[in-house]
Amino acid sequence: MNIIVKTQNISKIFMLGKTEVHALTDVSIDAFEGEFLAIAGPSGSGKTTLLNLIGCIDQPTAGIVKIDGEVMTGLSSSRLADIRMAKLSFVFQTFNLIPVLSAFENVEYPLLKMVRNKAERRDRVCEALENVGLADFITHRPDELSGGQRQRVAIARALVTEPRIILADEPTANLDQKTGGEVLELMKTINESKGTLFIFSTHDPKVMKMASRIIRITDGRVADYNHFDRRTGDKIAGFSSEYIIRNKGRRDLDR
Amino acid sequence: MEYPVSIKLAARNVFRNRIRTLITLAAIAFGSVSIIVAGGFFEDTFMLMRESAIHGQYGHIQIHAKGFADHGSSAPFDYLIENPDTVIKKLGSLDHIKLITPRISFSAMVSTGDNSVAVYCQGINPDEEKILSSIDNIKRAALGLSMEKGSNLTGKDRFSVILGRGLAKSIGVKPGDSIVLLANTVGGSINAFDMTVKGTFFTSFKEFDDRALRMPIDIAKQLIRTDGIQTLVVVLDKTSNTSVVKNEILNTIKSRHMALEIRTWKQLADFYNKTVELYGRQFFVLKLIITIIVVLSIFNTINMAIWERTREIGTIMAMGYKKMDIMKLFLAEGMILGLLGGIAGIIAGIAAARIISFFGIPMPPPPGATVGWTAFIKVVPDLLVSSMIISVSASLLSSFYPAFKASNMVITDALRHY
Repeated sequence: MNIIVKTQNISKIFMLGKTEVHALTDVSIDAFEGEFLAIAGPSGSGKTTLLNLIGCIDQPTAGIVKIDGEVMTGLSSSRLADIRMAKLSFVFQTFNLIPVLSAFENVEYPLLKMVRNKAERRDRVCEALENVGLADFITHRPDELSGGQRQRVAIARALVTEPRIILADEPTANLDQKTGGEVLELMKTINESKGTLFIFSTHDPKVMKMASRIIRITDGRVADYNHFDRRTGDKIAGFSSEYIIRNKGRRDLDR
Repeated sequence: MEYPVSIKLAARNVFRNRIRTLITLAAIAFGSVSIIVAGGFFEDTFMLMRESAIHGQYGHIQIHAKGFADHGSSAPFDYLIENPDTVIKKLGSLDHIKLITPRISFSAMVSTGDNSVAVYCQGINPDEEKILSSIDNIKRAALGLSMEKGSNLTGKDRFSVILGRGLAKSIGVKPGDSIVLLANTVGGSINAFDMTVKGTFFTSFKEFDDRALRMPIDIAKQLIRTDGIQTLVVVLDKTSNTSVVKNEILNTIKSRHMALEIRTWKQLADFYNKTVELYGRQFFVLKLIITIIVVLSIFNTINMAIWERTREIGTIMAMGYKKMDIMKLFLAEGMILGLLGGIAGIIAGIAAARIISFFGIPMPPPPGATVGWTAFIKVVPDLLVSSMIISVSASLLSSFYPAFKASNMVITDALRHY
């Protein structure tokens, strides 16, 4: 399997007033094509920071992030914006839809720059909204939709650019159990049908159960690192030996 | 970003917080209305001053013998136009010229028997001056030369004079009284005529009313013993044609080698020029103040909008939109506010101008004048355009910093903002 995301010994230090906060320390992980990868850990463990670094909206203090073998660290903000547009999409805990735009326009928004042809854009937006089961709601504004529907619009918005990676930071945290499960189910369906790599953070064990693999983070360090695909039970090939040596002694708890 | 869409988004964002937007628009519109009304008032005042200077005294263009402007005041009789009729004939056929009338002016003594004062005498053609004095394009008041008591001179009058009302008061004469007019002749001797006061007049120039005496030009010529005249006053159909006609007259003078020089009302009406300059400066300051108000109110609106929409900005940037795109979005919002406010201001400004003009503003006499007037608000197209330019450019200017700030947000911080 192809490695799509690779982080090499990344650390992130924030300044909180005059104290340094070590959000991430020496984190090295790989994410493979088609995975439904969960980053698990308690709040404040650095999950969001890790997703932000993978999503190229933040830069590590040390270490390197690679996407498709390309080094993302140290690129200009404009270059990173291009990469985000081409390869990455985000799904947020708080949905982050633009309130003045309809569902259709929200989904269309990321395409405005990518697809110049209006008819093609329309087709793609409609298809994305159909995929998330909201074909009948295209003219609704976010405040006319339920939480689950809003997150579906957000997923359609993430999907419409056909990204390599969709990053979802606690996508179900603002939804009730049932709706959250449905949203996650939807994400998984997309993951399986399109082969898009999903990386999502969560602290909900029920959500973790659906992941194909779980990486646990505690206090900014990788606590548990799985080599096994929970769907097939197979050990994922492609980990570098150097990596396994570095992570020696860590248990594969979630097998 | 496809431009129309960012405009569309910006337009919707503008009306997200209706009350705030309406207050901002009201501030911009108020600024525009102030510019339109204040500027329109100044413009109306200028027009009245201009027309009263032209029709009360100067005419549109004055033609003199060459050298009069430089030396005429010390030796008025050395610079006479000896053949006025030929000049009138040659120039009278030019376009836009309504009238060319001769004048002769000199200093004289007026004696009532027990009182003598120096006066400024004007020999004029009464019928033609009547045309000059009437202002066709301003209906609301007679701002040229108007009679206070008695009646104006006519073509049939011979040994009659009319006096400025200040002069009449100072020497204590009323219509019907007779006076003696004593003047130096062109040759240097002294001549005196008995004259009858036919009336007293006033113009908008107090200084003129306090010293001036008018008499038929033929009698004036006899009094100072000359056939020439000093001044040919040209009256045009419209004041705005002055410079065109000026050039035509200059060309004619040049091609026919006439020893003449001309001055326009603008060169003659020093008071008008200075007033325009003074008001112009004041108006500039007013515009500046309004611009600052507009800048501050838009700045506040956009700044608050950006604070409220921080997370949205983070989201858009996470999608892969660049700093420039965010910048454009907020500049577009500022521009929309400016345009809407400007349009509202123009509509309200025209309405305000109409309403105020319907009633009119009673004004006291300006400095140096004797009559008050009713001011209107003139709707000047130039002012409408400039109020729009001020609204839009002030809006863009004030959106610039907030837009810049928005485009330079740290995405992760913006996403964490609630």
